[in-house]
Amino acid sequence: MEVDMPQDISHIRNFSIIAHIDHGKSTISDRILEQTGTVSERDMQEQLLDTMDIERERGITIKSQAVRVSYTADDGETYQLNLIDTPGHVDFTYEVSRSLAACEGAVLVVDATQGVEAQTVANAMLAMNADLEIIPLINKIDLPAAEPERVREDIEESLAVPADDAVLASGKTGQGVHDLLESIVYNIPAPEGDPTGTLRALIFDSFFDAYRGVVALVRVIDGAIAKGDAVRLMATGTQVLVEEVGARKPVEEPLSELSAGEVGYLVTGLKDVRQVKVGDTITAVEGGAAEPLPGYREAKPMVFTGLYPIDGDQYEPLKEALEKLSLNDPALVWEPETSHALGFGFRVGFLGLLHMEVIKERLEREFNLDLLATAPSVEYHVFVKGGEMVALTSPQEMPDVGTIERIEEPYLKAKVLIPPDYVGAVMDLTVARRGIFVTMNYLSPTTVEMIWEIPLSELILDFFDKLKSNTKGYASLDYEFMGYKESALQKLDILLGGKPVDALSFIVHKEKAYDRGRVLCERLKEIIPRQMFEVPIQAAVGGRVLARQTVKAKRKDVLAKCYGGDITRKRKLLEKQKAGKKRMKAIGNVEVPQEAFMAILKVDE
Amino acid sequence: MPHDPYRALYIHVPFCTSRCAYCDFTTQAIPAGAPVIDGYIEQLIERIRQLSREGELAALETVYVGGGTPTHVGSKNLTALLYALGLSMHLTPEVECTIEANPESLTERMVADIWALGANRLSLGVQSFDDDICAVLGRAHNGEAARRALAAAQTRFENVSIDLMCGVPGQDRARFASDVREAVSRGVAHVSIYPLTIEERTPFARMVRAGMIDQPDEDAQADMMEDAARILRAAGYERYEVASYARLGFESRHNSAYWAGVPYLGIGTSATTMTQNAHRRMRVQDGQVVDDLDAVQMAAEDMMLGMRRSCGVSLEEVERVAQLLPALRQVLSDLEARGLVVRDAGRYKPTERGWLCGNELYGALLDSASL
Repeated sequence: MEVDMPQDISHIRNFSIIAHIDHGKSTISDRILEQTGTVSERDMQEQLLDTMDIERERGITIKSQAVRVSYTADDGETYQLNLIDTPGHVDFTYEVSRSLAACEGAVLVVDATQGVEAQTVANAMLAMNADLEIIPLINKIDLPAAEPERVREDIEESLAVPADDAVLASGKTGQGVHDLLESIVYNIPAPEGDPTGTLRALIFDSFFDAYRGVVALVRVIDGAIAKGDAVRLMATGTQVLVEEVGARKPVEEPLSELSAGEVGYLVTGLKDVRQVKVGDTITAVEGGAAEPLPGYREAKPMVFTGLYPIDGDQYEPLKEALEKLSLNDPALVWEPETSHALGFGFRVGFLGLLHMEVIKERLEREFNLDLLATAPSVEYHVFVKGGEMVALTSPQEMPDVGTIERIEEPYLKAKVLIPPDYVGAVMDLTVARRGIFVTMNYLSPTTVEMIWEIPLSELILDFFDKLKSNTKGYASLDYEFMGYKESALQKLDILLGGKPVDALSFIVHKEKAYDRGRVLCERLKEIIPRQMFEVPIQAAVGGRVLARQTVKAKRKDVLAKCYGGDITRKRKLLEKQKAGKKRMKAIGNVEVPQEAFMAILKVDE
Repeated sequence: MPHDPYRALYIHVPFCTSRCAYCDFTTQAIPAGAPVIDGYIEQLIERIRQLSREGELAALETVYVGGGTPTHVGSKNLTALLYALGLSMHLTPEVECTIEANPESLTERMVADIWALGANRLSLGVQSFDDDICAVLGRAHNGEAARRALAAAQTRFENVSIDLMCGVPGQDRARFASDVREAVSRGVAHVSIYPLTIEERTPFARMVRAGMIDQPDEDAQADMMEDAARILRAAGYERYEVASYARLGFESRHNSAYWAGVPYLGIGTSATTMTQNAHRRMRVQDGQVVDDLDAVQMAAEDMMLGMRRSCGVSLEEVERVAQLLPALRQVLSDLEARGLVVRDAGRYKPTERGWLCGNELYGALLDSASL
């Protein structure tokens, strides 16, 4: 352990690095660690900060990270720099906002060959809203196609960020990283806070460690926190004795205390990550703060799906896997669910679609499970006659139509940023998805902000993909929960072979029921292979059939030639066919491929 | 391993005039008279002599010289091969000895020679009498050449079989039906009906990918297979296997051996040998073991192969096999309930539907080994 000196607040800089995907955020982070001697080149693992396999493969960050580096600047003084890496997806907007609240500045990385792109704008907006000092960095200047001057103008025009002093750098060669470090020291303000005041520390992430319990990543705002202190987490009311505090470099190093302005970790010893919530405030048990830090919000699942093991024997392993993932993911909620068609499974709630995909992928990959996911749903509020409200996250639970007085669904306030050329395209798409236009602002000559109110249920139907493709990738989307609104909603049933399949039913707006039903029947007809018998596919609302397709019975399925050498080949073919069937779910006697349950997501009007 | 005697012999000749558009068999296009052909035939003859000395040819009941195109090697090579065979095994009239031929290379001279040396069955790769269809398939002959070759074959052979293909791009039901009728009117003893399948790495597969032709329409093929069954039955041919029709007494005994679990010996490139005893069945191809089955797997395979034949499997056989495959009785009664097999005259037999959707039927029987 190095000699502990009380940290001088004027020598602390807390910052985050933000960028459009593939503009080189991770390589710049890596070079900072390398050039400050925090991590030796030998230990350098590419993209050190993204630790999960899936994060690395997809190039996205899901959990926040904090790394402390020590930097002796050209003025001869040594500074404590805390680099906070934030999640990079709209599902995690809240988590991002809390990470940014722990910083005073942000390095905005822009690719010298690409210029400002959609996510650059969205991230810069988030940073500006958090009142951060922005340091533009033009990356990849070693490339022949680099146009730093054009990109500099682009940054000023599109983002209204002064770029005269933009750092020119190359994450690949390390060029310009020294300039960046100097710029961080001189341009990003030191934290403001009272080291002797009442303790208030912001939790911006937490994770579960099997040996030490829940560990929180914190930014101390006022006061100081040390091992042995009795503290209280204000939102949950949980009290704990601090077992350890320290900094991650990125290897954890225990310290005697964390004082105002510092970023570090705190070992709580708690067993449940749900007790240590992102955005919560830590204060002292004795003489603690009266008011928590602003901005705390309960992380609420927005999207729900049924997860079922393809092989019924995997129910228990799936349960154990969900338990394990929940240890580290307070936003993941689940409860058992039974489907007539699919058997025993779980209703699982997620922050958004990406969160859902990532969890499903981790369950399959890390726990070796074969899973079937039903189409995602939102939480509807169904008011039955007599006034009682039923919150349902699965269409299967929909009460009888006759007993329903009204149904409300969650609405979002969505902000779309686009170049002006795409206003029409966004208008068309959003109106088709029942969006209500609120307002539109020109943020700069190249960026328009459109504000919409849109039902969450429409947003989870491949809205983001559509938005991207209709705007050539330029649009960025940010949303926040607005509240519940009454809608004319109905449950649409899908029948296979005349029998309703609960796992295929979904809730739809009255005016969309016919179109969605028709298109879904067509899609299912393509997905469901021909069987030994005819399979009628019907879409119905309350017993009234809206659309119908038929998968014709298979008439011929045979290998005609079967002589000496063909027999082996034939047997292998039959085995392959059998393996193919294993990946399907038998519903009654109809073999249904997994993608059928997600078909509703790809329904184009 | 100690094994039951081989009762069928297959000799592979991997040469052709040209490659057809659908073909993924082991063969190569090579000019007639190329020295490599003579060398290959020499090797076959050496192998036959060796196996004869080892006693492996003593119990053979059928011989099939297939390809490729055996007639492409020329009269001299073919007669040398048959001569060596005649010296190496009991090539008596009771032994079914089939030579596969293609119309472009079958001459009257050759017909007379091979007949004289003990061949007694000719299988002619006609595929179609229709010039357009022959051209689409990339055959080296047209309708007229097929007729001429068939007439030549029939100067000596009573037991002549032809292959016909259905579901070829550009072939409608009427065109195919007229091929079947022509086979009947020309008095062939045996007809094999094959629906076209697109195999990987063939010109057809490339054409499908390029969008030049469609994947064969399975419904249209089913129609044509049913048409063939109707026309041939009316003309006195018995369908004794999924793809095989014969006038009474002209069923291919060699092919039937494959479906009856009879051990067979293969000679030449890619030819498969099946060696077995009561406990184990192995298939070897080009020196590689491609199959190694235990008694349970063997029993399931025998059930599957048996269901390719119209005679199906006897109830006694089912009882015997059920000792090894306890699930078999249930599987068969499920298949019966689904209309894929029927119980008739002390046997389980495939239905018409069981034939057309054979993969369902065979798959279920094969699975009975793992239940």
